[in-house]
Amino acid sequence: MSTRIEPNVQFIREMQAAGGESLKKCYQCATCSVICPLSPEETPFPRKEMIWAQWGMKDKLVNDIDIWLCHNCGECSDYCPRGAKPSDLLAALRNMAYKSMARPAILGKWMSSINYLPILFVIPAILFLIVWAASTGLTIPDGEIVFSKVFPTLAAIDPIFILVTIFVIFTFIYSVGRMLASFKEAGFVPSEDSPGFLRSLGAVIKDQILTHVKFKDCETNQERYLGHLLIFYGFVGLFIVTAFVATAYWADKFGIIDFATPMAMWNPVKILANVAGIALIVGLVYVTRMRINADPKKTVNSYYDWYLIGVIWAVVITGFLAQIFRLADAAALAYIVYYLHLVTVFMLFAYLPWSKLAHLVYRTVALAYARQIGRKALHD
Amino acid sequence: MSNSSILVIGGGFSGITAALEAAEVGHEVFIVEQEPYLGGRVAQLKHYFPKLCPPTCGLEINFQRIKKNPRVKQFTMAQVTRVSGEPGNYEVKIKIRPRFVNSNCTACDKCVEVCPVERDSEFDFHMGKTKAIYCPHFMSFPMRYVIDEQVCEGTACAKCVEACQYQAIDLEEKEREFTLNVGSIIVATGWKPYDVSKLTNLGGGQIPNVLTNMQLERLAAPNGPTDGKIQRPSDGKEPKRIAFVQCAGSRDQNHLDYCSYICCMASLKHCTYIREQYPDAEVVIYYIDLRAPGRYENFLNKIQEDEKVLMVKGKVARITEDSTSGDLVVTAEDIMGGVKKEETFDMVVLATVMQPSISMNGFALDLPRDESGFIIGGEEKGIFPAGCAKMPLDVMTSAETATGAALNAIQTVRR
Repeated sequence: MSTRIEPNVQFIREMQAAGGESLKKCYQCATCSVICPLSPEETPFPRKEMIWAQWGMKDKLVNDIDIWLCHNCGECSDYCPRGAKPSDLLAALRNMAYKSMARPAILGKWMSSINYLPILFVIPAILFLIVWAASTGLTIPDGEIVFSKVFPTLAAIDPIFILVTIFVIFTFIYSVGRMLASFKEAGFVPSEDSPGFLRSLGAVIKDQILTHVKFKDCETNQERYLGHLLIFYGFVGLFIVTAFVATAYWADKFGIIDFATPMAMWNPVKILANVAGIALIVGLVYVTRMRINADPKKTVNSYYDWYLIGVIWAVVITGFLAQIFRLADAAALAYIVYYLHLVTVFMLFAYLPWSKLAHLVYRTVALAYARQIGRKALHD
Repeated sequence: MSNSSILVIGGGFSGITAALEAAEVGHEVFIVEQEPYLGGRVAQLKHYFPKLCPPTCGLEINFQRIKKNPRVKQFTMAQVTRVSGEPGNYEVKIKIRPRFVNSNCTACDKCVEVCPVERDSEFDFHMGKTKAIYCPHFMSFPMRYVIDEQVCEGTACAKCVEACQYQAIDLEEKEREFTLNVGSIIVATGWKPYDVSKLTNLGGGQIPNVLTNMQLERLAAPNGPTDGKIQRPSDGKEPKRIAFVQCAGSRDQNHLDYCSYICCMASLKHCTYIREQYPDAEVVIYYIDLRAPGRYENFLNKIQEDEKVLMVKGKVARITEDSTSGDLVVTAEDIMGGVKKEETFDMVVLATVMQPSISMNGFALDLPRDESGFIIGGEEKGIFPAGCAKMPLDVMTSAETATGAALNAIQTVRR
């Protein structure tokens, strides 16, 4: 059997630009596939991805479920005898998926390079300036610092973020549908006796995501495991807090309970918010340190890595500073920093499907699908 | 007027060849060898390429040529400590470590019988033992015993001195130094096996039944620690399934970056050792690419005809030990089959790399070296590398480079 290979040279260049710059160094020894603790028995990764990449086999790569099974611990790159950095290639392929899976595609382009960062910043910056102009005419209100004086919940914040949420959800419904179709195209189809998708999803969340067990399997990178775990649970905590506040706010509006922000510092929900915020900071310190100290011979950080880390840092710092200035009664600083907090939160969530944070959805779906089709590591 | 003598540093196959080529056209040649014997790495092999001769064959002829040629003078247990001067006129300081055994020795072995101290044999890569006084190996040249001063109890014991009927042992021998004047220098310092303990994922130096290719040579050699029987170090079991791991530490930027040239051929040769003793044993050679330089391809084709030798494309990246059976679980991706597999073997041989013997610093001559330590220059100084000091080579090509170096040295001193 012969296969005619038609190399997509443009695609090779795109992979190199997205973080896979060393892919041509690979000489196909397959050390990576063996070293990877997550790689399956049949058609293991990432050796095959390396040759697909060298040969510009775009069709194979864009439909490849294995890029999502990789948790980027970097052990393959540590052992790679040629410095070909297979883990960076898989990260680059994921970056390309963030860029191209969701629509509108222009956002993918804007999210792919630092050149477009000003646009991404200016959109929420103007949006929230308009809100500020409409509420207090861009002035600092007198009296007790209450952020809703400048950024009214009912009139502005909730509508904006509810719209953002709907936008993100519909974007993902579309892109996840494309992703699952691409897996099927690659020949990965669940057999008749496979568990259902939702059951697999539940099992993945319970057995893998909540425990971070796959990160632990990559024994050499404990810093990454801890960092990701703390950031993950930091976000879970903040999600609970936000959900609680939103529910309580609307319950208050309908007169079911009596609720007003800011909550007292000793309120358990407020405590959870602060603990989660601190977990985020510690986790961020871990992953930032890991990325800064990374040996350039083993891995190169991409813009996608830094955008996400940078935005989360900005969200956390502005969040804490807003609280501190509020408690210190520094009104001007408090409102301005809170404004920046809203801008960065918008940058984190509205662009989520095109950022590295989209792995939250794509990886989860891919892991559930992998479970459904029985694709698992050699020792699972 | 330049000095017409030539110094050869290293008395392995390359050094001996270079020395004889120069001596046989009339030059005085000094061989300086740090081991207690000449013959170097070849002496440790069972067979060597291209014709799979035992080392007795090629070395014996060369030792005869040395014995018959008064122009060759060799110093064993010797090291060059300092070199000064210029092409045509070098002054070389030589240090000789005490051997404690003089030329009266007849190799009668009486001393060994009484010696109370045992040591690991470096010649056998720690798989065998010798006494503190020992014969370097059965065809050692010079055929003279030697005492390992690290372990010998010295004059406090002196049982060997009593046992020796020939007054061949002097436990108070001291290190000595002297100077030679030469016109040119040939550096044939050869190679050493890479330190496999750095190959942690392959169990190098940790798992008893994971051997290096040089250890297998010693196991298979008739004068080796098992008298030539290939068996597992842990329990002496006859291996039924044996894996070869090619490129163990070579072509790897985390270890040694270059291809060591002959390890593929060495493993193929080892298949013949195994087949000779075990007609039914199964062998799997895991490789990245099999490299059979030049005419060696015929040999590769011959081994490929053996139905019980399987060649799998895919580098082994993990070896673990089953501690109860001593068996080894080898993980590799069979690239052609697209499967990541764990297979169990009785014995694994790491095809380890040749590395230059001389360290980056601490060699008496300051010569240009590549990043791996191989010598890549020195001609303008009248100094010429030969054999594996230049690059990883087989014996035949080493000899060719030695002849070339001898010619260059002769041209230097006749100028």
